[in-house]
Amino acid sequence: MTLAPEAAKGDDFMRRLALAIAILATLALAAPSAPAQETPRPGGILNWYVYGDPGRLDIHLESPLSVQQALAGIYSGLLHRDPADPDKIVGDLAERWTASPDGKVYTFHLRKGVKWHDGQPFTSADVKATLNRVLNPDSKSPRCGSMLKPIVAGVEAVDPHTIQIALKFPAAPFLEYVASAWCVIAAKHVLDKHGDLSKPEAQIGTGPFKFKRYERGNVIEWEKNKDYFRPGLPYLDGVKQFVLVGFPTQLAAAKAGRIHLWDTWPPMKRTDADELKRARGDEVHVYQVAQNTIFLAYMHTQKPPFNNPDMRRAVHLALDRQELVAKALEGAGVPCAVFDPKLSGDFALPLAEVQKMPGCRQPKDQDIAEAKKLVEKHYPNGVDVEAAVRSVGNYVDRAQLVLSQLRKIGIRGTIKTYESAAGFAVFGKGDFVFLPTQDRAMVTVDPGDLFSLIYTTNAGSNWGKWSDPKVDELTERGLKETNREKRKQIYWELQRHLLSGAPSAVPVAWVEGFHFVDKRLRGYKWAPTVYDNNTFMKVWLQP
Amino acid sequence: MPDVADRVDVALPVGPAGAAGLEHERGVVRWVGWFATRHPLGFVGALLVLAVALTAIFAPALAPHGPKDAAFATYVAPNAEFPMGTDHLGRDMLSRVVWGARLSLYVGLTSVLFGVTIGALWGAVTAYFGGAADSVSQRVVDSLMALPPIILALALMAALGQSVTNVIVALALLLVPTAARTIRSVALSIKEMPYIEAARAAGAAEWRVIFLHVMPNTLATYIVLVTVNIAYAIVVEAALSFLGLGAPPDEPSWGSMLTAGTQALETAPWMIFFPGLAISLTVFGLNLLGDAIRDITDPRLRGGLG
Repeated sequence: MTLAPEAAKGDDFMRRLALAIAILATLALAAPSAPAQETPRPGGILNWYVYGDPGRLDIHLESPLSVQQALAGIYSGLLHRDPADPDKIVGDLAERWTASPDGKVYTFHLRKGVKWHDGQPFTSADVKATLNRVLNPDSKSPRCGSMLKPIVAGVEAVDPHTIQIALKFPAAPFLEYVASAWCVIAAKHVLDKHGDLSKPEAQIGTGPFKFKRYERGNVIEWEKNKDYFRPGLPYLDGVKQFVLVGFPTQLAAAKAGRIHLWDTWPPMKRTDADELKRARGDEVHVYQVAQNTIFLAYMHTQKPPFNNPDMRRAVHLALDRQELVAKALEGAGVPCAVFDPKLSGDFALPLAEVQKMPGCRQPKDQDIAEAKKLVEKHYPNGVDVEAAVRSVGNYVDRAQLVLSQLRKIGIRGTIKTYESAAGFAVFGKGDFVFLPTQDRAMVTVDPGDLFSLIYTTNAGSNWGKWSDPKVDELTERGLKETNREKRKQIYWELQRHLLSGAPSAVPVAWVEGFHFVDKRLRGYKWAPTVYDNNTFMKVWLQP
Repeated sequence: MPDVADRVDVALPVGPAGAAGLEHERGVVRWVGWFATRHPLGFVGALLVLAVALTAIFAPALAPHGPKDAAFATYVAPNAEFPMGTDHLGRDMLSRVVWGARLSLYVGLTSVLFGVTIGALWGAVTAYFGGAADSVSQRVVDSLMALPPIILALALMAALGQSVTNVIVALALLLVPTAARTIRSVALSIKEMPYIEAARAAGAAEWRVIFLHVMPNTLATYIVLVTVNIAYAIVVEAALSFLGLGAPPDEPSWGSMLTAGTQALETAPWMIFFPGLAISLTVFGLNLLGDAIRDITDPRLRGGLG
């Protein structure tokens, strides 16, 4: 793990990050890497897939992976993860950066001569417009805004090639956030013209690929940006993402060799990976990976029956996470954890402690009896709820398992399914009572991420409108704390608080699974989150 | 005023009412014996349908477990405890197939009763009045019939949203045009009958003529339409559920059981075998029974009552 020395100074967090990534890298041992001496070969189209139609394409205002994936190669950030070594955070549009001695002001020196895909020059005004857009208190920016709003005080364009970001306090994960694939820079003139970035014609970036075509529900195509600011890159002529909805279709495409790569959500389960290996034999690398994604069950805290904390607590107690992991994830997952120790190291509350807590302990009898009492207290005849589910991955199966478990305590659910993007739109507005299953992927590997994304009052994915002053306060303290040991204690306290309380989003498990890479695809590296390093700028195809 | 409706019985050309009336004197047992010998295939069909109907009615008593209880190990092969095995979520397949009979028959029966009844009313009324209204309504029927039924059903389900009620609505709408066309053709000949003329001469209101004189005489056709189409409705419901647009996913529908089975074809073939068998036997039984009823009620095919 290396960072520009001036930025890495005194950053304990980064050492922890390195540890987590090292563990991750061992997990991904079988992941391919091209022999060092091999010369990249230009040309070819990479065939990839996306699990659902992205719908609105605004990278700053949307949160589904499908949106980030659709646009990954189009934009650049100030910083990004090194495509050749995703453990490192390196400059992208910023050539270099410095931090003030008190760690509260960062100055980014921007590359010169960079052009937008429409030929306009890139300047610091674009960076300022982008950051002001995501920081705008009136705009809902569930990923980038959620991370930056709590820590950034202001943005100043010093000159056309220098931008300064002032922080409210020295925040440990700031550079991680800036390097996030959700905090990419959009063009000021495009924002002025279109108002937002939701339409295909507004996809003007500075990235290695240009947005060529978006056929709804069918395919998203990028073509090589011949004027990319890194000469010689990208190697590929283009990337095609097929919209493949439904797991059987995705697996069939993989088995038939229609896609070169499966590095995204939903991961394959063990039996699927075995099936693929039987079909493709030596042509693919298959490897297991921790997804940096948490499986949650959301309840709306302002709508009956879950406006009652007892009812939320009952769900928390009744859910059998071990059974859900065993059946829905075929054992590839960490049940009950608020953090996965493999990814978060000792920021994760020790699993031995987690698995003794009510709701997580086995056998379930005592917890179920208690949950039943809680439900009976308020609903002597039980209660019916509508369970909203996006028809993606194996969500519908997972939902049936969750509902089967809740029926034991008198909560009777009926499933209502949504297409992927439609579901996100509805859930984001809070038009639901219960979401039995919803994965949320982390944007970074910093422990603060989970809380800023899901649990604080202003979190981008706080769909259940939960507000707990203690969570808000501890999250803020966690961001400000620079002493690693103290930071760990804060996050342990937060985890204990969530597991013993009645939050809107019940942590079910951290998701693991299997990915594959076609052996013809070279130079591909898996990054610590599903969002990182999917620009394919340094990837090439061997015939 | 003496009601000319008396003539309905007299005028009823053919039909199960007449056959049953005749047979009633000889007793139900003899009628069954007659049915079994004259229409052995129909008799087999009737037995199959009876078995499915009894399964549906007594599902709560017959199913050893709840159809939605994912309380067991996953992918257990058929054994003494789970005669049809368990599925990918650890639910007892036998219980799901048994409850599936209830869902299939409920959807099949209600959608067909609604669809065929609405179609019959439409056909009888437009046939009776004739003229421009009839022409226009028949063009509407034409355009509905021009759409491939499964596509129309998919579109309707996508628009209405997934629920058992919406499946019934979609299936009923599919059946309306066929029923309207068929009943109209029967009604066209009935309205030329002397007793209709007599009713009108006696001053009966038009609605009275339609409902008391025309419609009852289309009953034979109506019954055939119902029996034949239940099998069709069950298959379409299974197809919709198979495609993920039928009954909600946790409802034990044979179609959605097949979908789940396709994902585990190599590991758990029983997941697709038993619901597939259930659909096949039910549809086979209904078709055999439907054919027999058609034969009995069709004077050209009817060879007397033995």
